[in-house]
Amino acid sequence: METLTHILNGFSVCLQPINLWYTFIGVFIGTIIGVLPGIGPSAGIALLIPVTYGMNPTSALIMMCGIYYGTKYGGSTTAILIKTPGEAASVMTTIDGYEMARKGRAGAALAVSAIGSFIAGTLGVVALTLFALPLASMALKFGPAEYFCLMLFAMTAVASLSGKSPAKGMFSTLLGLMIATIGIDLQSGQPRYTMGVAEFQDGVGFIVVVVGLFAMAEVLRGMEDVFKGVAAPMIRISGKLWLTKEEWKRSIGPIWRGGIIGFIIGVLPGAGGTIASILSYTTEKRLSKNPEEFGKGAIEGVAGPESANNSDTAGAMVPLLTLGVPGGGATAVLMGAFIMYGIQPGPLLFEKRPDLVWGLVDSMYIGNIMLLILNLPLIGLFVRLLYIPSGILYPLIVAISVIGSYAINGSMLDLYLVLFFGVVGYVFQKVDIPVAPLVLSLVLGGIMEQSFRQAMTISGADPAIFVKSSISVTLITLSVVSIALPFILPRLKEWKKGAESQES
Amino acid sequence: MLADRVIFVCIIVLTAVYFYATAQIPTLEIGDPLGPKAFPRLLGIGLLIVAALLFMEIWRARKTPPEASPQPSGDRRHLTVIGVVVAGTAVYLGVFTLLGYVIATSIYLLALMAYFHPGKWTANILTAVLFCVLSYLMFTKLLGVSLPRGVLPF
Repeated sequence: METLTHILNGFSVCLQPINLWYTFIGVFIGTIIGVLPGIGPSAGIALLIPVTYGMNPTSALIMMCGIYYGTKYGGSTTAILIKTPGEAASVMTTIDGYEMARKGRAGAALAVSAIGSFIAGTLGVVALTLFALPLASMALKFGPAEYFCLMLFAMTAVASLSGKSPAKGMFSTLLGLMIATIGIDLQSGQPRYTMGVAEFQDGVGFIVVVVGLFAMAEVLRGMEDVFKGVAAPMIRISGKLWLTKEEWKRSIGPIWRGGIIGFIIGVLPGAGGTIASILSYTTEKRLSKNPEEFGKGAIEGVAGPESANNSDTAGAMVPLLTLGVPGGGATAVLMGAFIMYGIQPGPLLFEKRPDLVWGLVDSMYIGNIMLLILNLPLIGLFVRLLYIPSGILYPLIVAISVIGSYAINGSMLDLYLVLFFGVVGYVFQKVDIPVAPLVLSLVLGGIMEQSFRQAMTISGADPAIFVKSSISVTLITLSVVSIALPFILPRLKEWKKGAESQES
Repeated sequence: MLADRVIFVCIIVLTAVYFYATAQIPTLEIGDPLGPKAFPRLLGIGLLIVAALLFMEIWRARKTPPEASPQPSGDRRHLTVIGVVVAGTAVYLGVFTLLGYVIATSIYLLALMAYFHPGKWTANILTAVLFCVLSYLMFTKLLGVSLPRGVLPF
């Protein structure tokens, strides 16, 4: 009953004309960012923060979230038509989506992505609505020690799941935490690692790091592709933007299953949209009666993953809003946006600002309807974006990044840092060091250190406080398991293989 | 892989530098029991653990026979191009406040487009100049973001 009142109040917030307008702008920009390769949700949101500074926080956050889930709709278009994921999570769609397009079923592929995204996206928001309050009230019992352990778990999960090598993932996490220690220490007032530069006393801004790692690095990588001349030919939309009866029947199962897989993966820290869509793809392939069709234009291979990566965004909002701990790179940037507006996401927010939380959640229902319209009847407009030559697009992204980063403080140092982190991101990509863990731990670093020190102050510098409650013991165990598992699993497989070969 | 060994050495160097810089933080013996150095020290220890884990990964990759690792083709021209782009961007930032956003960015964009989108002079010049003027007007006049004016009078 309480939830129902909140939902209704939320709609009274998000249906205000100004908020409807910002929902629309958010999902519109989100679709554009999704369609354009080379810029993703993280960079898009980070670049908008300085520009929207001073706006009403509710409207601004509604818009930023719109960008976040809107990109997942746009990403599939690029995947289907030019075999390039417009956004990382649509990578699975490049396989069967592009094949469908080559066979003249581009219209059907785009339609099933939009419809699947809508059904699964809405399903995800329903689940978010139902789970938010119970989880938030549970999280209210967390003290600083539990929070520290929760953040530790989020970071280790992201570190071990977001790349090929868990050691490199952890390295990325630690780098983020180390960057977060730069600046004046809030408790003692001592400057740390400022290297004598006055501007570093305020720390290294996360916007600068995100724009560098996600926009600038992506531009450098894209320019490399332009130089090498690698690009699949673009396919024009062919066929009606709708599904045949047969295609409907084949798609509906994958959409539901993808929606459920996506939401669960979204709630858990670490995995995120890309893994959700891979899981959905392999599930569909396993369940299919004709698995050999996968890779040759099976509609299930588009419907499932595209649904999964949309309900994943709703799932990922659950830990961000209820616990105040994001489980991945893009939600970490969203959390950074919350903090820039002076709003601390977490269980207390549900008590202090129910209008904001529920207005935001409800705006996601409306945003999904808007996205369905933008991405089905109006998709032709966005497809034109793909005609922009990369050689023009990438330089423009640099210019936009420069404006956005300069707008924060009008600081030249920030611009050089964007370039620096751009090079870092480019090199990291070459040597397989994932950057999502770095962003997550950079955003959480300050809070993590605070809760660590608060916990130690409470206990009188006795570290046993981190194993006092069952919650923190569970979380620490999970953290250790998530680090150790990637090392143990291959051993187990080898051992099993060895045992089997001995038996036979 | 060679890259992994380089990363390993970098982590070791970074850890040493970080521990050294941590020791340089002045502390007052008041306030919270831990002070500003404790958390960074934990991070330093974390780095050492990461170095050990990476060493294990390298060691194991060494034992397993190289599974058809894609031989680098030896063509490193793209690295030169990216290097020039990065250097060019640094020069652009160097003259950013001096020349102002519109002029500096127009020249920068034109140079990049001339290389990555060659031959289409009309399209490139139109895009670069129009983008810079319009974005300048939009951000400074409409959104209240200040961008360096430089030598331009408005």
